[in-house]
Amino acid sequence: MESAERCEPAVGVIRSGILPEVNSTKRVDQDWRSTVRKRIDGIGLGWIRGKTAVIGDPLERDLVEALGRERVVTGSGARSLYSRDGSVTRGGSAGIVCFPETTDDVAACVTVAVSHGRAFVARGAGTGLSGGAVPCDEPVMVVTTRMNSIYEVDLDRRIAWVGPGVVNLDLSRHLSGTGLHFAPDPSSQQACTIGGNVANNSGGPHCLLYGVTSAHVLAIEVVLPDGEVVLLGAEEGRSPGYDLRGAFVGGEGTLGIATRICVRLTEDPPEVATLLLDFDQIEGAADMVSAVIASGIVPAALEIMDKRVIEAVEPFVEAGYPLDAAAVLIVELDGLPDGVADAIERIKAIGLDHGARTVRVAKDDEERTRIWKGRKNAFGAIAVIKPDYYLNDTVIPRTRLAEVLMRIYEVVEERQLMVMNVFHAGDGNLHPLIVFDAREPGVMERVLEAGEEIVRISVEAGGVLSGEHGIGLEKKRFMHMQFSPADLEAQDQLRRAFDVRGLANPAKVLPTGASCGHVTNLERAPKGTWV
Amino acid sequence: MMNLSQLANDVGEVGAVCVRGGGTRWDVGGAAGDVQVVMAPTGIDSFDPAEMTVVVGAGTTLSELADALAARGQEVALDGPPGATIGGALMVGRSPLRRGRLGEVADVLLQADCVGADGQVFVAGGPTVKNVSGYDLCRLLVGSLGTLAVVGRVILRTRPMPEDSAWMSGEVPLKVVLQSVYRPATVLWDGRQTTVRVEGHGADVNNEVDLLGGLGLERVDQPVLPRERDRWSGFLPSGGVLEVGAGVVHQLERPSPPAVAAGVRVLGDRMREAFDPRRRFNPGRDPHRVAA
Amino acid sequence: MTTSNQQRKELSTLLGLDDEGLAACVQCGLCLPHCPTYRATGDERWSPRGRISLMRSVEWDNVVPDDEWHAAMDTCVQCLGCVTACPSGVPYEELINTTRSAIAVNRRLPLPLRVGLWLLGKPSLLRSGSRVLAVFQRLGLMRLMPTNLVGALPRRIPMKAPRRPPQLVDPAEVTLFTGCVMDVWQPEVHAAVEDVLTAIGVSVERSGDRVGCCGALHGHAGLDSEARRHAKRVVSTLSGEGPVLVDSAGCGAALKRFGDLLGTPEARAFSDRVADVHEWLAEDPRLASFEVSVAGATGHEAVIVQDPCHLRHAQGCHGAVREVLKRHVDLVELDDDGICCGAGGAYSLIQPKLAADAREKKVAAVARATSRSGATLVVSANPGCSMYLGAAGLKVRHPMEVLAQVFQSHRADSSKLGKAVAEGEVDFGG
Repeated sequence: MESAERCEPAVGVIRSGILPEVNSTKRVDQDWRSTVRKRIDGIGLGWIRGKTAVIGDPLERDLVEALGRERVVTGSGARSLYSRDGSVTRGGSAGIVCFPETTDDVAACVTVAVSHGRAFVARGAGTGLSGGAVPCDEPVMVVTTRMNSIYEVDLDRRIAWVGPGVVNLDLSRHLSGTGLHFAPDPSSQQACTIGGNVANNSGGPHCLLYGVTSAHVLAIEVVLPDGEVVLLGAEEGRSPGYDLRGAFVGGEGTLGIATRICVRLTEDPPEVATLLLDFDQIEGAADMVSAVIASGIVPAALEIMDKRVIEAVEPFVEAGYPLDAAAVLIVELDGLPDGVADAIERIKAIGLDHGARTVRVAKDDEERTRIWKGRKNAFGAIAVIKPDYYLNDTVIPRTRLAEVLMRIYEVVEERQLMVMNVFHAGDGNLHPLIVFDAREPGVMERVLEAGEEIVRISVEAGGVLSGEHGIGLEKKRFMHMQFSPADLEAQDQLRRAFDVRGLANPAKVLPTGASCGHVTNLERAPKGTWV
Repeated sequence: MMNLSQLANDVGEVGAVCVRGGGTRWDVGGAAGDVQVVMAPTGIDSFDPAEMTVVVGAGTTLSELADALAARGQEVALDGPPGATIGGALMVGRSPLRRGRLGEVADVLLQADCVGADGQVFVAGGPTVKNVSGYDLCRLLVGSLGTLAVVGRVILRTRPMPEDSAWMSGEVPLKVVLQSVYRPATVLWDGRQTTVRVEGHGADVNNEVDLLGGLGLERVDQPVLPRERDRWSGFLPSGGVLEVGAGVVHQLERPSPPAVAAGVRVLGDRMREAFDPRRRFNPGRDPHRVAA
Repeated sequence: MTTSNQQRKELSTLLGLDDEGLAACVQCGLCLPHCPTYRATGDERWSPRGRISLMRSVEWDNVVPDDEWHAAMDTCVQCLGCVTACPSGVPYEELINTTRSAIAVNRRLPLPLRVGLWLLGKPSLLRSGSRVLAVFQRLGLMRLMPTNLVGALPRRIPMKAPRRPPQLVDPAEVTLFTGCVMDVWQPEVHAAVEDVLTAIGVSVERSGDRVGCCGALHGHAGLDSEARRHAKRVVSTLSGEGPVLVDSAGCGAALKRFGDLLGTPEARAFSDRVADVHEWLAEDPRLASFEVSVAGATGHEAVIVQDPCHLRHAQGCHGAVREVLKRHVDLVELDDDGICCGAGGAYSLIQPKLAADAREKKVAAVARATSRSGATLVVSANPGCSMYLGAAGLKVRHPMEVLAQVFQSHRADSSKLGKAVAEGEVDFGG
């Protein structure tokens, strides 16, 4: 990458107009400009380029050379915004922010970064909840949001090739009317990108039946941390060698950057039934979940909301959740009509056995939408009760739901905090949500303690640290609760095979190795800080 | 609880080792060579249908596992020849024929307790049906032909067995059949005949059987497929059967070794080097040689 | 930029944002896909979450606003799509309005924009100017004009506004707010509203030139005192008790905010009287009973409903457009969650590239709706949207025009209406 023009003396960094060219996808123009620039420099007339051209920082200069000025951003505003994601993590520090549009662009970002010994971090929409995309020590930020093309949809083979910046819900919207959809449906699906889904192996309510993202990603074009581009997996079936595709999914951006993703498309079910059951006791709802599974029914979704969530949500969405219930259970069944009809009856019977007061079956799409709207807007409605919230994510064996839920209420309330539960009960995937006011002195410590206690309780009950949010920075320090040093070493072997130099999103996932700058969770509570 | 100390002892810290299951697909990916053979523990540790998970020794045969699960109305997304073991099926890494309903082999392994090349026991994955804690070692292990670690005990995802099922076959265009059935478990095509397995609720299966019957398909027994497998390349060899959507052709001929992209091979070799720098495990085998 | 460092430093203490409001954002990112400028750029700085974070940096961390900061604030369309999407109820409208005002204190707006905004308050000048443009258009001289402007103008600017004979009922039951530019460029919309209201037996008078402009665009540009001046004039001129109906979503949203803007009891009382014309009609039994008698009299044409941001996100009454139309035309929905078309008042003039990107997406959404349904006619209840989309080649009408046409074709079809009235079949509600 070295060339003569980089030897010119640094005169300081002054950028031209701040407004990036929005529709500046014309690479031809940029090539033309850079050619002229080189010629001008070549004959010693660098000053003609004036204040727009002279870039003192060699890393920035090389990135601009590769991507063009408009797609390389160094402003302090951008760097502060790209220093965080949707999580509680504070103190990240982004370096130069790049907006690649092609695989070659991404490869160039990575190659330039590592050639300067600099780390790089891929970032999609920044909706992650574990700090996985929070940069440590000014890495090059590779923002994939402009790689948002749906390249190909093959309805016969039921696959689609998409860019990593395609928004999850946009793909399913794009497919509407084809009878197919993309199954993973994380709660952030209206905003999160498929590249982010791949990095986090995202779930969602319907992965109970259909499986998490890994089950829906067939092949991935990846820019490896050395800049090499490889295709992992295959459109159909396995590819020769190790299942590197499987290893890559859920790698939280530490194994390379996905630049094109081949996803499996799922048939829309011919029949869908949504049931709402309400209970006097949350234990009844929790035990019913196990009973449903044990009876041989795998619903498309099984979601529980507790009393506090119902009280917060119902006034907004008017879904008809009974306000005096201790919990409601949403059951969604899908498939062919007879099987669904039969399962509805069986669910009703199981519900009544477990103390369900009423079982409501949505009559039409409108009613179904309202039942789901309450579930999907739960976190938003909660924000109205208290200004701040801390959302956890652990998984436990589903047969122990009732007992673990009770323990969680206890440990949170012991610390004078309020917890609300709205979660993917069918998978045993808990999402305890501690709500509080960050301006209250000392509250942070209690929130932190309660969070750690929830993780401990879950692991002790035979569960795991995270079901869908990932480890990122947030749960790194808890890894030892679930894994022995030998387990972690094996994971590190996988990571090292992909990233020999440790420059891909460093300091994430594994507690060993580099620490992340000045990053902390929930460390301070100035006015307005949320967690 | 099953103890892996015996297996760890057997594997030790030096010398080439190969783990033997049922030996039913012993030649996949190369010869084992003349090396020390170890065996994984056998037996079912625990099975709770409400969890849809089973804890089992990797040396247990598929048929023993299937019987135990079937007694409680469940099954697992693994298949193999008679005598095949769970560990063998996982290491060979072929998805079951009924993958349309049962799922892929890659999604079946939740946790694997292994012995590494340094003779230490380590755990990959976790016990729950959903888990994104740390790197996905389980998916890496599936299909690795025992070259990364010796798998001793596993936790597998189980599923309820379908109430009813039927194999249907007829000289009907593939596309017509695909448009007529919802999530078929298996679709096969031999260039002439389309064969499909539908499963699910009894009444639904009957309806689909009627519908397919109307198209000209008839009920058949489960077809016997040719022994060899190759990647689907758009060409169906004589006597070959395409497993639609799986990218696999079942054929009589032994396939030639697949082409592997240089970058993928380099990365794969680095993976093996990272886990087993001294190439102790199954030195004669290489997953890059497996076509499908 | 014209601000010196000294001035910028002052600005940092001048944003004056409400702490609670600023604190309400939890940075979840669910607003991102609903922001047209984020959609266009994929750049966090040009997203609601990014802008809030940048506001915080100035307000809480004493960061001095620089060009990058200003660009982020300047590019906001103020479509409020993010407000609808926000699960945490962040008062983004207040935040961006206050920020824009603070910026306007320190930085003069570009001259053409200032001239344009000034013109809005001068109805007779506006009318003459528009006639000049109309002549230019007809003489094919528009290529002499800035392309930004040409791209945002109606395809055929009217030479002269059709005038209606004044209504005989005094005082009229309702007042139709006629505003500034709409009265000049889309007089047919006001006429259509009058037709519909009259047909169902509602007497209506126009607010006219003495009431003039609502000042919405001045407010968007951060010109607080100008906006207040217009608001005061409107409130004091339109005294009385009857409903003030608005057929421009942008004006309606502004009029409904006068109470908050001026903070006086009179202004609050005024804002309470304001209703979007669809919103009012949807609730009025006379429309329903009238429609029952004409139902089936006309061929059902399908129309694609485009929700103006100021109807959907600001006023939240976009459902009323459907209520009013649904008995007479088939409604086709867009699949884009009501994202902004880019018009944004004067936005398409100030940020032509960003606006054009949003419009391209809207045109694509319309094309999808057309391929699904065969419908080509788009209805939009805001003059800015309909002009801007019309300039891109779409056939756009105001919902009231469609309804008026239905009523008219019914009348033309036969004299059923007259007969119906005579026979007492139509209840005009007194």
